[in-house]
Amino acid sequence: MAEPVPAGAAADVVVGDFAEIVRRHQSMVFSIALHFLADPPAAEELAQDVFMQLHAKLSTLKSPEHMVFWLRKVTSHRCIDRMRRHRIPQVSLEDLPESSVLEFSPGVQPADPFLARRLQQLVASLPGKARLLVILRYQEDLSAEDIAELLDMPAATVKSHLQRALAMLHDKVVRSMGEVRSEK
Amino acid sequence: MTRFEDELKNALRRQQPPQGFADRVLARAAEIGSRQVNRAWRDLWLKIFDQPLVPANLLRWATVTVVALALVVGGVHYRSVERERAQGEAAKQRLLLALRIAGSKLQLAKTRVDQINSGQVNSNKLHSDPTANQQKRE
Repeated sequence: MAEPVPAGAAADVVVGDFAEIVRRHQSMVFSIALHFLADPPAAEELAQDVFMQLHAKLSTLKSPEHMVFWLRKVTSHRCIDRMRRHRIPQVSLEDLPESSVLEFSPGVQPADPFLARRLQQLVASLPGKARLLVILRYQEDLSAEDIAELLDMPAATVKSHLQRALAMLHDKVVRSMGEVRSEK
Repeated sequence: MTRFEDELKNALRRQQPPQGFADRVLARAAEIGSRQVNRAWRDLWLKIFDQPLVPANLLRWATVTVVALALVVGGVHYRSVERERAQGEAAKQRLLLALRIAGSKLQLAKTRVDQINSGQVNSNKLHSDPTANQQKRE
């Protein structure tokens, strides 16, 4: 789902228009933070911090692809750091308040909004690392190898963690919504 | 990809951030930028006042040159003063000699004047005392 980056625009984008860079990548950065934290104000704060860091580092980034990689990496690390620093507890599905359900942006309505919201809640209830892997895999459409490179993990570990996270999610879906909706 | 994964992908679609997000980011960046400019100016001023105006090497050579010049000028001035003092001393000696000569000449003149004066007194005595003249004739 990564946004296409025009080839050959590296120098222009890196050197120049920071505003254009923010507008182009804001949904990616914000969504990683939002799906991880399940807290829109905290997600916006984190996304702003990522772009501030990018502003300071802009001259060191060599290409648009490098920039996207860097943004995903920094956002992921900041999510994990925030979780550790604020000791965000891993909440059970039953404990998640209804207010933590994320609102979909206009024009991004899923086929089944109820299921989508429930799945967002379920993802938010996963352990930190597993949550991040699921977000990078299904939001950013990254392969296990890409995620491994991004998080400095062996690809095999990423695959096994993803499988475990999916199984965990599947179980939760089955328990909360019934077999019918989660069937393959 | 399973249907479950499709649903998951659908649920985790990218969301747009709240309205004005980019503007808030740009405002923060501008604020940080202006702060950095201010800090750069402050650092520049501090550097200007902190560092010597001329390089240390140049300062060292300038000091050596000034000291050498001072020594040369001082030496020339000292020799000039010494010469003037010697000339003054010689002039003083000459003046003292001249005064001594003048003093001795004056003394001589005074003696002669005294002698002349004493001779005149004797002749006057002879003219005024007849017995003395008679005795002289005899």
